[in-house]
Amino acid sequence: MKINKVAILINVIAWAISFVWILPLMGILMASIRPYKEIVRGWWDFSEFNPSLTNIFNALYHPTAPLSKGIVNSLIVTIPATIMPIIIGALAAYAFARYSFTIKSYLFLTIVLLMAVPQQSIAIPLFQLMKKLGLLDSLIGLSIVHTAWGLPWIILFMKNFFATLPVEVEEAARIDGATDFQIFYKIVLPLSLPGIASVAALQFTWVWSDFFLALILIYSPDKLLATQRLPLMRGQYHVDWGVLSAASLIIIAVPIVLYLALQKYYIRGMVGWVVKG
Amino acid sequence: MKLNLTPYFFILPALILIIIFVLYPISATISLSFLSPEGYFVGFDNYIRVLSRREVINYDGILKGYFPMGAIVHNAIWILIHLPLSTLLGLVLAVLLQNVKGSSIIKSIIFLGMVTPLIVGGIIIRFTFDREVGVVNMFLKAIGLGHLVRTWTMYPDTALFSLILGSVWLWTGFSLILYSAGLAMIPKEYYEAAKIDGASSMQIFFRITLPLLKPVTTTVVTMTLLWELKIFDIVYVATYGGPGGASNVLALLMYFLAFRSLDFNASSVIATLLTALTLIVAIVMFKYVVRK
Amino acid sequence: MADVKVKNLTKRFGKVIAVNKVSFDVKDKEFVVLLGPSGSGKTTTLRLIAGLERPDEGEIYIGGRLVNNIPPRERDVAMVFQNYALYPHMTVFDNLAFPLQVRKMPKKYIKAKVEEVAKLLKIEDLLDRRPSQLSGGQQQRVALGRALVREPKVFLMDEPLSNLDAKLRVYMRAELKRLQKELGITTIYVTHDQVEAMTMADRIVVFHKGKIQQIGTPSDLYKKPQNIFVAGFIGSPAMNFFDATLTYKDDFIVLDAGEFKLKLPKTFSSILRDKAGLEVVLGIRPEHIKIYKEPRASTVKCRVYVVEPLGGEMIINFSLGGKIYKARYPGEISLKPDETIYIEIPVKHIHIFNKKDGKAII
Repeated sequence: MKINKVAILINVIAWAISFVWILPLMGILMASIRPYKEIVRGWWDFSEFNPSLTNIFNALYHPTAPLSKGIVNSLIVTIPATIMPIIIGALAAYAFARYSFTIKSYLFLTIVLLMAVPQQSIAIPLFQLMKKLGLLDSLIGLSIVHTAWGLPWIILFMKNFFATLPVEVEEAARIDGATDFQIFYKIVLPLSLPGIASVAALQFTWVWSDFFLALILIYSPDKLLATQRLPLMRGQYHVDWGVLSAASLIIIAVPIVLYLALQKYYIRGMVGWVVKG
Repeated sequence: MKLNLTPYFFILPALILIIIFVLYPISATISLSFLSPEGYFVGFDNYIRVLSRREVINYDGILKGYFPMGAIVHNAIWILIHLPLSTLLGLVLAVLLQNVKGSSIIKSIIFLGMVTPLIVGGIIIRFTFDREVGVVNMFLKAIGLGHLVRTWTMYPDTALFSLILGSVWLWTGFSLILYSAGLAMIPKEYYEAAKIDGASSMQIFFRITLPLLKPVTTTVVTMTLLWELKIFDIVYVATYGGPGGASNVLALLMYFLAFRSLDFNASSVIATLLTALTLIVAIVMFKYVVRK
Repeated sequence: MADVKVKNLTKRFGKVIAVNKVSFDVKDKEFVVLLGPSGSGKTTTLRLIAGLERPDEGEIYIGGRLVNNIPPRERDVAMVFQNYALYPHMTVFDNLAFPLQVRKMPKKYIKAKVEEVAKLLKIEDLLDRRPSQLSGGQQQRVALGRALVREPKVFLMDEPLSNLDAKLRVYMRAELKRLQKELGITTIYVTHDQVEAMTMADRIVVFHKGKIQQIGTPSDLYKKPQNIFVAGFIGSPAMNFFDATLTYKDDFIVLDAGEFKLKLPKTFSSILRDKAGLEVVLGIRPEHIKIYKEPRASTVKCRVYVVEPLGGEMIINFSLGGKIYKARYPGEISLKPDETIYIEIPVKHIHIFNKKDGKAII
């Protein structure tokens, strides 16, 4: 039948594309777990296959840029930089979603536009500001900057999310005697858990993935984040693909695990704030 | 009437953080771009000085067709290739995957690029185009183009294009996921009605599906443009803007000017231009959305 | 328990005046229904009383206390919402306990009170469930319970039955009314369903375009509507209206409706004197029109348009002068479309409204 042939063709094309798509990642994976002499023959060559964790171990305990320390530092930055903006942003978003106050629309417009501004635009003043505040080369300082930069999109996303909650439930609580703040943390926040999960998944991934702000603000060798250590492992003349791939794999594993665990919220987060925005 | 202070308390913490760490640095950057290193107002002198630099626009390169052509041109080339490629690829895949078994697995595979930290993305691109270990060269050998084999990111004429192709690999997941969500939101009745009205599948796609996906397209195009203007990590780790500036982009150039040449004013010019460009994109999108 | 007094209440949303100088009283223990089509201002009025909206003008008194500047939680009112607005993340028990918890009542008291209310509403078995696990009727009871548990001064209800299926709605009407009388709670109830209003209310306040059209008992509204709007809104099927002119003939006042003339009894003369030539609207309820197959004295000939049998009775749609009117026929009669029938309009049941301002003359 003709229809069936078309359907089979589409299936074949789709799977072929996804095969091409996964090749680069497979390369990194193979290079991480196989010795370099096997890789130079091509990671797709399986005539010899001796997987080991040597490269992973070497990356974690690299002599000049140990990734293990970088992962700890990254977590020290990423965890507070995920929790803080969610609390602060949700509070602000709730005000934008449910209250009317003067200059609200201008304020909101400004915040939304700030989402577009590249972090690269503020490198110099930010560097000088953090120096003045004594927060330069400080993981907490970096965490605060990430919090501030996460707020615009979190406010927009959570405002859209709150708009989908039935207003009557909050009004019922108001009449039942709850104060504004009680309504927020007893009714609105528990109802917003799916939205918060989306925000947490994305904000965590983005802060974890950040390279630029860390590059500007963190420079002590023992404070460098995981992403910062990656270029240091490249080597000047000879690229040690084993260690570099292993380090890449470790850094990428965290957001991938998070994505696979929270896929639904991840996608909803991706789609939610941009489609409605 | 009593003024309700509650909303102000709710937005205050966010506002303070945004003003200190976002708004203030932006305005400081803009003012730096109009000052001399000694702090005097010099009008557009910095702009003229910066825009006439070879790193920004290399007229000789553009005319004779060699790289580097200048960071602005590189960003423009990036947009010209990456924007249509990633957007269309995402759309086509989203449409095709509607009728594919295991489409959620395929979507996840393609979306992995979006989950990948860009710094890792840069390493992966470098790896994939590597002379010895890269799968691209294996493919070229396999189809009899072995004479082309080389580390593609190390040559001026191919470095930028390699990075752009790699960035398509990283970013297509975005348009795929958004278009998939957009397609899922179109009620089946529209298609059924169109079929009963005698429309072919091509007609259905161009007359029904595509117009209904317009808001998604707006979003995809806007976010992709913003992403392309901010490209930094990939280039930093894969080529460091090289060789000889052949793959340099605005954001990286700004970094070099600020933290290698310590020319804060020149760097601020680039930063201000970048901010202006992104704001224009955002405002156009915003107006479009509001007009609806 | 308390009375509620609303004085000159006005609320604008931008340029739209949602509630326009509304005044009415609700006596202690009274069941008052605010009735009107959607957008008539009844729900806004209720929300103003609840404190969810702030009035632009006018005063609201609950139990004699001016509450304009008092937040909802201190007004001591309870509200049942159209979609129930149960807290979806809490169990039924926690839903019922919430109003007491935020008032920091002792735990023992809360438990006892919740159980008491649950028993009253026959939802004791549901206390551990979440709202999503309940049927519409059960959710409705929980919403009622949450309002009852606090023993508020005033009960506010915003179309609480409109999301139930027809059968349950009729049952809950009676149930609600019984409960209200038993507990003696002052109740203000918003609905657009005139049957609901007629069956439940002690008094009805009819809203239209932000203004009060009439306040009265159900029987008042049915028998003596003060204007065309109330006349048309109350009763189902709606009252028939004919454009007519008042004329004099041999000392009698005659209503000239074009297709037919109606001679009015002398008793009307005192009211209608000096009104000759006035353009009026004649109103007659479908249940008051008499239908015959043969012509009689003072019947009007018309044609059957369509017949809607309802079992015990029939609604007969007939056309007269190019327009369709309805009559209710008790029992059964065999009629076909286009068949000729003869109707009688009994003078004692007619209403006459001034065409200009819609106000009732008789």
